[in-house]
Amino acid sequence: MKKAILIDYKYCTGCHTCEVACQKHLGLEPDKWGIKLTQIGPDEVAPRQWQYEFVPVPTDRCNRCADRLERGKQAMCAQHCQAGCLWVGDIDELVGRIDGDKFALFV
Amino acid sequence: MTDQENNETIGQNAGLGMSGGGKVVPMQNDPTAATRKDTWEEDGFTVVRGNARTAPGCHDNCGILMYIDKDGKLDHVEGDPDDPYNQGRLCLRCLTLPDVVYHKDRQLHPLKRDRADRGKDKWEQITWEEAYEICERELRAVQEKYGPQAIQVFCGTGRDIVGYHPMLANILDTPNQGMGFLSGQGCYVPRMFSTTMKIGNLYTGDYSQNWIDRYDNPNWVRPDYVVIWGNNPVVANSDGTLGHWIVECMKRGTKLITIDPKLTWCAAHSEYWLQVRPGTDSALALAMAHVIVEEDLYDHEFVDCWCYGFEEYQEHIKDWTPTRVAEICDIDEDLIWSAARALGNADGWALQWGVALDHTAEGFYSGASCYDLCALCGQFDKPGGMVCGKPSFGVPVTWIGSDTDWIPTKRNQYEHLHGDYPALRVIGMPSPDATLEALEGKYDYPVKAAWLQTNNCLANMGAQPQRIAKGLMEDDFNVVMDLWMTPTAMAVADVFLPVTTFPERFGLTGHQPYRTGAINKAIDTIGECRSDPQVVVEMGRIFKGADLFPWSDGEHFDEEAFYDYLLRNSGFTWDDLKSRTWAYPEMKYYRYKTGEIRDDGEPGFSTPTGRYEFYSVNLEAMGMRPLAFYEEPPESPISRPDLLEKYPLTLTTGARQWGFFHSEGRQVPHLRAIHPEPEVTIHPADAEKYGIADGDWVIIENQYGSCKQKAKIDIRIKQGVVSADHGWWFPERDREDGFFGTFESNINNCIPMRPGSTGLGCSYKSVLCSIRKA
Ligand code: SF4
Ligand code: SF4
Ligand code: SF4
Repeated sequence: MKKAILIDYKYCTGCHTCEVACQKHLGLEPDKWGIKLTQIGPDEVAPRQWQYEFVPVPTDRCNRCADRLERGKQAMCAQHCQAGCLWVGDIDELVGRIDGDKFALFV
Repeated sequence: MTDQENNETIGQNAGLGMSGGGKVVPMQNDPTAATRKDTWEEDGFTVVRGNARTAPGCHDNCGILMYIDKDGKLDHVEGDPDDPYNQGRLCLRCLTLPDVVYHKDRQLHPLKRDRADRGKDKWEQITWEEAYEICERELRAVQEKYGPQAIQVFCGTGRDIVGYHPMLANILDTPNQGMGFLSGQGCYVPRMFSTTMKIGNLYTGDYSQNWIDRYDNPNWVRPDYVVIWGNNPVVANSDGTLGHWIVECMKRGTKLITIDPKLTWCAAHSEYWLQVRPGTDSALALAMAHVIVEEDLYDHEFVDCWCYGFEEYQEHIKDWTPTRVAEICDIDEDLIWSAARALGNADGWALQWGVALDHTAEGFYSGASCYDLCALCGQFDKPGGMVCGKPSFGVPVTWIGSDTDWIPTKRNQYEHLHGDYPALRVIGMPSPDATLEALEGKYDYPVKAAWLQTNNCLANMGAQPQRIAKGLMEDDFNVVMDLWMTPTAMAVADVFLPVTTFPERFGLTGHQPYRTGAINKAIDTIGECRSDPQVVVEMGRIFKGADLFPWSDGEHFDEEAFYDYLLRNSGFTWDDLKSRTWAYPEMKYYRYKTGEIRDDGEPGFSTPTGRYEFYSVNLEAMGMRPLAFYEEPPESPISRPDLLEKYPLTLTTGARQWGFFHSEGRQVPHLRAIHPEPEVTIHPADAEKYGIADGDWVIIENQYGSCKQKAKIDIRIKQGVVSADHGWWFPERDREDGFFGTFESNINNCIPMRPGSTGLGCSYKSVLCSIRKA
């Protein structure tokens, strides 16, 4: 079964590292992505409470780093994620990681 | 586990010889050291383990795995999962390393150009031999004609040169070495000097980076709060702090307080965000101290036993009431009370300060007033507080310091170019502002030659860059050493020296005090490039003779012998370090209590009173203010209401951008695509007022000059403030087209080359301007 991607977007800083890690891994030019950031906000949802968040979304070019996972490595984006908030793996295993309120699971 | 058990002595560690004499700093237990390899074969590639430093530049040294193909070419890189520093992660900059190494624009050979052709693309390729011959002839001519002090040795930041440039200054017998044309030496020097006066050493936030087992170490405690003050750590990775360490602390329960005119990601994720007016940080710190003292939330034991001058300080902060300061900073008063109470009630908290503190004219005192808060709360040398940054294993070039005793020099016979500024007189650094005036003949001091190594002052940090270009284009001799033909090299260099990237060289890590590591060579040198330290050593041979070296330097630069020599007191050899890649010294907290901070072995801090000095005896003796204070920036809506009609907005500059390191990265396609044009961030209300739409090119202007950037309309910036990019040039343009168009969007056209009263501090983040559609 195809692997999934899980993001704890409470901690994603929007650093673009997953985008570039993937571009380098798949050999993509800067205008093509295997995973791409989306931005929410900034929005003052309540007085002095801001939502300003990023969620990277995998594209159809993403092959879930099948070759790397086979060799026992982490996916390129997951290993380099600066906030350590992105995982690639089996759905069951990833669901077990959900322990907060801001997770996005791409299957 | 106790500190003792956690720290093994060197002899017990695999592969380490006891080469150094004297007292050796024990090493932390390193469970993987015995089996760690520095190279291996994997899937058809040779992998070389190393530390990412430098060039290109960065303030960090992330553990990196370099994958070399059958033809000896760097194919790709990955973070090193075994390295405690970055735990497998590399940011986007290092991930594009092969694109830099093999970039078509890299300069691979030494070049010369006739002095009459400065600014023109009339370069001629030469050998290193000829390059050094020209350097020797021209620099000796300057020495003889004007004295060696007429040579300026200038570095920038983030490259492996800060620890080596003092050696070069010794070699050339000049007292003038520093960050040339950064007004007021306005990066860390103001903070470092003022706070060293108070506590004797530099302390940084404790994100567990001193521990080899990091967040799992039982002695480490996560900070209750990290106070992010004038810094965007996740983007900047400044001063040896990997910003995402703070995100790891957040996962473990750390809360943030952010002081920034812009809603950064950290600000949006903070318990308290104080959106201050640029340049008012010191006032805020004084008011927070006021609250902590008034509500008796301060650490009595630390203040009573380990501090000096509390009574004077207490008196001094009385007037800095939250009501008064809320108005100065333009924030709600209750936020000052709440943030100060949070710190007063916290157990451990760390100050994550940024260069913004230095970037107001009296910025010399901003860092000091923040340190006073740390002292009030007893945060020094405390787990999850502030940890003492001394060069690890006593190797000074790896942190703030140099190793120069072995170089005979006449530099001390000459007065340095301090510009009559009291702080600069004392620390022996030249004033970049006075240097420019001297070049222009407005200050009486000979400035006749500049050695600019990793210094792109015309594109990056030189304020009023057209003045600098004109001044340098008229002096006798200039050398630039860099990866590329930069705007600075194109405008002023007579000799250009090409530098290696880090996969092409060996060396020691730097810019952080937590550990010592090896820069490991992975590929053959490309073209004829040489590393920054190599050129410094070779200049030593030329100017002082081969007898200079305390090691046997044969016909050519003996890298191994040089780095062995620099490691002579560490207890290990270069070869040991190379094969283990990193080594962590033992780590302890509360060292001021056990006499492990002061050189004389007495308890306390390295200050005249042995205590943390709210009231600095040394500063007073030097004729500077002994207590931290606040002064309005020279050009602010409050200090210069007369300018407001013409220049109604406050201008802050130099916010860091993902992918770039100052003026670096513009020619790397995957980095440039993320931020393709110079941008000025404008609040929607201001944009509407001045008729500007998102994406418009706008002219930013004030009494110093103007430049053109693209408008980004965003509620993240404080109303009434605009935030403009720095470091822009356009490598894709013609070299002669205004030196890659560098003055076109250069925000420093609008920044004065003018320091604060001490000679330190500057105005990069606190002037006035207008904006209009281009
Ligand atoms: S899993 Fe691999 S292919 Fe997919 S986004 Fe991450 S790096 Fe790209
Ligand atoms: S690398 Fe991680 S923190 Fe950075 S943008 Fe991607 S998911 Fe977010
Ligand atoms: S922080 Fe610096 S050393 Fe670390 S990966 Fe990024 S560019 Fe490289």
